[in-house]
Amino acid sequence: MPGIFWYRKISNQLWKAMMIGAALICATPAAFAAGDGQPGKPSSIDDPFVILMVIIMLILLLAIGLLAHVVLGAASFYYQREKEREQQKAGASTTVIVTTIALLLFAAPVFAQNADAPATTAVQTATSFGSLSATAFYAIVGVIGIELLVLLALLYQLRTFLAKEKLKQQLASNAATVQKPRVTIWAKLNKFKPVEQEAEMDLGHEYDGIRELDNRLPPWWLYGFYASILFAVIYLWRYHVSHSAPLSGEELQIAMTQAEEQKAEYLKKSANNVDENTVKLLTDAADITDGQKVFTQNCAACHGKAGEGIVGPNLTDDYWLHGGGIKDVFKTIKYGWPEKGMRSWKDDLSPVQIAHVASYIKSIHGSNPPNAKAQQGELYKEDNSNNKTDSAASKAAVVTNK
Amino acid sequence: MQVEQFHYDNKIVKQFAYATALWGIVGMVAGLWVAIQFYAPGAALNFAPTTFGRLRPVHTNAVIFAFVGNCIFTGVYYSLQRLCKARMFSDKLSKIHFWGWQSIIVAAAITLLLGYTTGKEYAELEWPIDIAITLVWVVFGINLFGTIIKRRERHLYVAIWFYIATWVTVALLHIVNSFEIPVSLFKSYSWYAGVQDALVQWWYGHNAVAFFLTTPILGLMYYFLPKAANRPVYSYRLSIIHFWALIFIYIWAGPHHLLYTALPDWAQSLGTVFSIMLLLPSWGGMLNGLFTLRGAWDKVREEPVLKFFVVAVTCYGMATFEGPMMSLKNVNAISHFTDWTIAHVHIGGLGWNGFMAFGMLYWLIPRMWGTSLHSKKLATNHFWLGTIGIVIYAVPLYWAGFTQAQMWKTFTEEGQLKFQFLETVTHIIPMYITRSIGGSLYLIGAFLMVFNLYKTIKKGKFIANEAAEAAPLEKHAAPVKEHWHRWIEKKPMTLLVFSLIVVAIGGAVEMVPTFLVKSNIPTIASVQPYTPLELQGRDIYVREGCYTCHSQMIRPFRDEVARYGEYSKAGEFVYDHPFQWGSKRTGPDLAREGGKYPDSWHYNHMMDPRIMSPGSIMPSYSWLLDNKIDTASTPAKIRAMQKLGVPYPAGYDQVANKDLLTQANGIRLSLKMDKIETPKDAEIVALISYLQRLGKDIKATAKQ
Repeated sequence: MPGIFWYRKISNQLWKAMMIGAALICATPAAFAAGDGQPGKPSSIDDPFVILMVIIMLILLLAIGLLAHVVLGAASFYYQREKEREQQKAGASTTVIVTTIALLLFAAPVFAQNADAPATTAVQTATSFGSLSATAFYAIVGVIGIELLVLLALLYQLRTFLAKEKLKQQLASNAATVQKPRVTIWAKLNKFKPVEQEAEMDLGHEYDGIRELDNRLPPWWLYGFYASILFAVIYLWRYHVSHSAPLSGEELQIAMTQAEEQKAEYLKKSANNVDENTVKLLTDAADITDGQKVFTQNCAACHGKAGEGIVGPNLTDDYWLHGGGIKDVFKTIKYGWPEKGMRSWKDDLSPVQIAHVASYIKSIHGSNPPNAKAQQGELYKEDNSNNKTDSAASKAAVVTNK
Repeated sequence: MQVEQFHYDNKIVKQFAYATALWGIVGMVAGLWVAIQFYAPGAALNFAPTTFGRLRPVHTNAVIFAFVGNCIFTGVYYSLQRLCKARMFSDKLSKIHFWGWQSIIVAAAITLLLGYTTGKEYAELEWPIDIAITLVWVVFGINLFGTIIKRRERHLYVAIWFYIATWVTVALLHIVNSFEIPVSLFKSYSWYAGVQDALVQWWYGHNAVAFFLTTPILGLMYYFLPKAANRPVYSYRLSIIHFWALIFIYIWAGPHHLLYTALPDWAQSLGTVFSIMLLLPSWGGMLNGLFTLRGAWDKVREEPVLKFFVVAVTCYGMATFEGPMMSLKNVNAISHFTDWTIAHVHIGGLGWNGFMAFGMLYWLIPRMWGTSLHSKKLATNHFWLGTIGIVIYAVPLYWAGFTQAQMWKTFTEEGQLKFQFLETVTHIIPMYITRSIGGSLYLIGAFLMVFNLYKTIKKGKFIANEAAEAAPLEKHAAPVKEHWHRWIEKKPMTLLVFSLIVVAIGGAVEMVPTFLVKSNIPTIASVQPYTPLELQGRDIYVREGCYTCHSQMIRPFRDEVARYGEYSKAGEFVYDHPFQWGSKRTGPDLAREGGKYPDSWHYNHMMDPRIMSPGSIMPSYSWLLDNKIDTASTPAKIRAMQKLGVPYPAGYDQVANKDLLTQANGIRLSLKMDKIETPKDAEIVALISYLQRLGKDIKATAKQ
């Protein structure tokens, strides 16, 4: 059947399907533009990550365009074939409907995704990703995700068409033609010459039977090498001439500042800012259990699993080197007594953890574990005057830790 | 012209081939042994020579210099004769070379197990052995060039370019890095200190990989792969460009082992960019190998030799891709000091070097015995065991490395480190177990090979002298129009000199400024030389190979500063002969260990680490409690340090031992307070004094 006539015979139904396909292609750039607008802030567009992402978006878009073109071509071709059969058999327009529904189906989630993306990004403004705001990051990821979805849908569609075609072709069984293009791409990429022609490239060198060919350098190899040299120049330029990338010391400064901000932010919100002046003895079982866990992990090495004392003093008797009140114990753990071998734990344990472990230590008082170490320090009695001793110990700790 | 009759010397090839198989097995067994110690510390047997710190250098030296070294010599002695159409220059030199190299290996194994080490990775051997290596290397060089000069083939094949570059560069690396000042017969101090020592060491260490594990093996690949596949080499011009680019660029990349350390930033950046530029030249070798197989892939299906070569070359490609990626700072921040690096080197070691060696032996032995391989099926089984072994070895370690790095870097919301160091170790122990299973499979494969080759040898008859004939070179060849590069292929000495120049550039540009420009290593006034006791303690630290598991280099990362303290500064290491920055953190960093724990903690911890840190995988060092400090060596050590520019007062060597005993007594008393009785001259006392000194000097400035 001549190829021109079928075109006129396209039914309204297919036109609809094709329009949706076209709308789909248009929708993607729109989504892209929406996403691109946000990272387009002057600060983040310099970010190589953003540039990379934008490039990925563009490449994906291009792929979508090409693939959509192929799918539409396949669809119309397939439709034409169906038409032929329709004329022969009269009826069976179901396939067209199926096609339309399928197109609609994969188009629908795309639009849904489009609507979702801004919604999710709006919620998560608090966190950020490198130099990117969370909104921009999610917008970019969203767009890329949508593009990937569209690609997948298109691929799926194409496969459906091809599978049908293949089924028919299997009767003719010329599968060899399908494999051919893959080989050519690989060969083209490397500028391969057919093995049969290699005699022309023989250089005439011969070493113990080994001959040498004069194949050209694979182009991707050569240009890759040039690109790596370019990378080197840009890298050195950025770090040592334009100073637009941070050297190791500066990187640390940036990380520390960020960490401080995050920590301050967190502490503001949480009830975590206990210190040696405000700490109270905790008796809640959960707190004590947590304290015991911390103790086993960190303190048992020197003070024994049951606090009986090994290198460090016995923590279960009545004698204390640096005061036995909850505030004293908290202080000792927090700042340590480095000259006596007790290290500071304030960088390892959170204030709440220190309170827990201090309360746990108080809770094992008088437990008389086996192999207890002999008493060290002064007799300490829990009474009303403990506020006094506490503050005295606090002062001493402050002095030594300056 | 009259054709000359001559014989190839196969006997020397046979000897080296036997040595390859033997040392391969020995090196791999040592490797498996240390791998088991990661999850079963008892496997150290509580015996000094079999602890990880001493056994690990035995493993690395055995596989690099004994296994791969002998593999290189096997291949070179076989291929060189045939590529030059000449017998080796001198059978006597061949013999000296062979026995010299084997005695070096034996001496190395014994001294390393006894704790004689310079403390510099892959260059641990002490000065008398260093000298022996130099001499044997010269013998090899004379034999190599002697053969080349009396060749009957006008042009040098690409394999020989690689042999020449290998010879000259290894000589350069070995001599420069081994500059050391002897204290006694088996003790010396590195000529360089701190940052400079680190730079030289990793210039050497990286290029030992380049010029011992890569270029000679590429040379072997260029001979054995086309021979086994019976295919022409894919591209001559690719050979040219990748050869020159590879040897020029490789030498620069050493500082990528020192990213984020106290090495000046500019040197680190050079290391990074040259590593990136190294990727494609490395791949040039892979491509030339794989594309040579075009039209022969059907043979790969049947021929185990080619199977080994294909996986070897592919592993080479993977490792040389991964290497440059790990040289990027953001990747290195994760991979360095973790098992990722170990996985990476074993892709190269097991895959590239091991499989090239196996393939070569499977090809060579039947030929030299005039027979066919005993069992192709067995060889194929070896191939699959080995391949699966590599996967089971590497994948868990990648996982372990990545996991541990993430755990190190995790903070709680309160801003505290989430994991204690020990937790990050115990977490990855399952991966260590799996790794050793992969290694075992690989080792079983190697045993299969030995059996297969033994059967083959039994079946055949050895051809000690293989007859060959060729016309001698004409004195004056008529000029012909040819490729420009053919010119240098006719001139081995010119090729030698050019290679030397090309490889010398990178090292010189990085080292000269680091040595001469003061601003590269800013001095810190409060950093003082070690006391005699600390110096003795440091030597014990080096002797026990503590650096194989503990780094002394706090990188400028938030987590490391939080975990270990202020990041390390270049000026802190000016008296460190040798530097002890380490390359792997199986245990925590020790750069600021001083003052972190009481003396008694260290005492108990050395006696049995699990008393103080339940779950620790560190071996016990109970002999340190009994051994006596070698005080007789103190004066010589002080004098050696003085020669290296460490500012001890004149004549201090005579009174040093008095200071030593005073300080030791202090530690004895502090231990006594914690109810530990120890003689003040026990080695543990010296080691404690050293550990308690680490990283403290800089704090003195802070107080002032």
